[in-house]
Amino acid sequence: MTEKTIGRRDFLKVLALGTATATGFRIARKTAASEPTGSSPHQWAMVIDQAKCTGCESCNLACKAHNDVPPDISWNCVIETESVGNRKVFLPRPCMHCEHAPCVEVCPVGASYYRSDGIVMMDYDRCIGCRYCEVACPYNARAFNWKDFDEPNPTVPTWGQPEVERRERGVVEKCSFCYQRIDRGLSLGLTPGVDEEATPACVVACRVGARVFGDLNDENSEVSQLLRENPHYRLREDLGTGPRVYYLPAREEVEG
Amino acid sequence: MKLLRNRFEFSAFHFWFIILSVFIVAGVVAGVIIFREGLQVTNLTDLVPWGLWITIDLSAIALSAGAFSLCAVVYLLGLKQYQPVARTATFIGLLGYSVAMLCLLMDLGQPLRAWHGFVYWNTHSVLWEVTMCVGLYFTVLLLETMPIIGDYKWMRKYFPGMAGRLSFVTHYAPFLAIAGLGLSMLHQSSLGATYGVIKARPIWYRPDLSVLFIISAVAGGISLTLLATMLSARFYPRIKVNDHLLERLAFVVGWVLVGYLYFRFWDGFAMTYTYQPGKTEGLQMITTGVLAFNFWIGEILLGIVIPIIILLVARFRENPLLRMVALALVVGGVVAYRWDVNLAGQLITLTYLPQEIAARYTAYVPSMIEAIYGAGVVAFGILAFILGVRYLNVIDHGVVEEEVQEAPQVVAATD
Repeated sequence: MTEKTIGRRDFLKVLALGTATATGFRIARKTAASEPTGSSPHQWAMVIDQAKCTGCESCNLACKAHNDVPPDISWNCVIETESVGNRKVFLPRPCMHCEHAPCVEVCPVGASYYRSDGIVMMDYDRCIGCRYCEVACPYNARAFNWKDFDEPNPTVPTWGQPEVERRERGVVEKCSFCYQRIDRGLSLGLTPGVDEEATPACVVACRVGARVFGDLNDENSEVSQLLRENPHYRLREDLGTGPRVYYLPAREEVEG
Repeated sequence: MKLLRNRFEFSAFHFWFIILSVFIVAGVVAGVIIFREGLQVTNLTDLVPWGLWITIDLSAIALSAGAFSLCAVVYLLGLKQYQPVARTATFIGLLGYSVAMLCLLMDLGQPLRAWHGFVYWNTHSVLWEVTMCVGLYFTVLLLETMPIIGDYKWMRKYFPGMAGRLSFVTHYAPFLAIAGLGLSMLHQSSLGATYGVIKARPIWYRPDLSVLFIISAVAGGISLTLLATMLSARFYPRIKVNDHLLERLAFVVGWVLVGYLYFRFWDGFAMTYTYQPGKTEGLQMITTGVLAFNFWIGEILLGIVIPIIILLVARFRENPLLRMVALALVVGGVVAYRWDVNLAGQLITLTYLPQEIAARYTAYVPSMIEAIYGAGVVAFGILAFILGVRYLNVIDHGVVEEEVQEAPQVVAATD
């Protein structure tokens, strides 16, 4: 009987120890990856003018070069949609960098997270490759690295030089709004969306000026002005994801 | 002694041992190839990233639900006479979760980072909750299985101290049953919610999946336990089973199935009232499209309706052969349900193009190597169970025979 009591106590001790260890792990690891939205002075957004886009894919190719994306993956695919008049209309689709991103919510390990400036980021060292985020993303903006990418990147050097590390096999990757260009640009005192060095590669590469990047917190930024003055829409707004990529729809009359 | 006598004659055991071992070896080879080559050897795509392995994983977890339900019956409801059945269910649960984890491990793009789920927490994620619960519940199952190992003759003979300590874990069974019940209720239903929270795949996006997952798991889990017990009794005449207990539990399964049928119909037909892009197409695919046979025949007719008839009509239920057929059908039905849920949302996705938010059809058929690995993992589960029956006495209704007051007839199943 006494043995039993001690046994039970031991059992509870083991239980307590286990809980303590788990809690210890929790405290020891670095705090939640996501930073509170809005604590940054900037809120990055992209405006894509479908009236101007010609579907040339320059943005996609520049993206592939600057971000060292494997040939079978596009972070920034350009989709042919409908026609207005007798003109084809295209829909370039980067990551939407949603305000309420399903991918961030579902990731079991927090490998997808919000930066305070609104960018939805991937921690490629933390991703376990469960692909739940792929299932959850309504925009198919995420791609899994099914195989190794060892070959030279065919878009380099024609379309630019890689600025970030290649992702390894077995993780999910996606557009990052070229955070590396933004961060480096800001540290050099440049303005993303104005100075090419500090602006996402796809925006710089667009020959017809269909892509505009900038800070929604800056009233005078080009994105703020465009959104103030033009009718615009976002993809699948009904889902409540709050995309940070805005589209100006194709119109019969193309100005400028 | 029996073992010695059997050693030199080629028995059914040897036959199955060889067959299953072949599958396991093939599975190991496939596993090594997948580990080296990565998931490019599968037929999974960015639109259908979850396939056969996830179905096996979900099914194995569902069919392990006998462990928590029966442990709750024995230790929380206090129906002690069912303890030997709970013991079998616990062992099946341990194997089921092992099967699930082997499948998941292969399915991860970064299997070596599997531990990230326990260290990096995203408390918003249903899948994180499932990961934690499955991990903790596996620990509970390990503890619950310890007395079985402690009772192993070989352990008792060579490591009596250790065997005694392992057997002593029985004293914590009520605590473990509470922990197991909580963890299982959480993750069994959360596995449904894993799909249910996904807005991007309209057919999944509904709260009912949690309810359906847990109720089907209880039916399937108890069924597998009963079926495995009855099958083993047929193969091993020395195994004593109390058919009265099995018959009572089969009756319970019959009523659980009635609840399951009700929810499945309510769930399915509540979707038919309005047209919702993606959801309606998904439902059509299940009821009249590529999954229709699976749904109507596999899930509803064979998986629910026929078993209900057999298990609720005393005359049919008391016939051991018919009862076994019914239990096997329930198990098959639960697997079919998991397959349908997993595929339904992935084969129909919604486009995000502004002018045509319409359903888009995708396709998925498992590749050969996916099938070989899956078969290997399942074969491992079956072989481990057979070995458990043979050497660990996981089915032995003689254990508490004396303790039960009513002294129900103990039937040593023959032939």
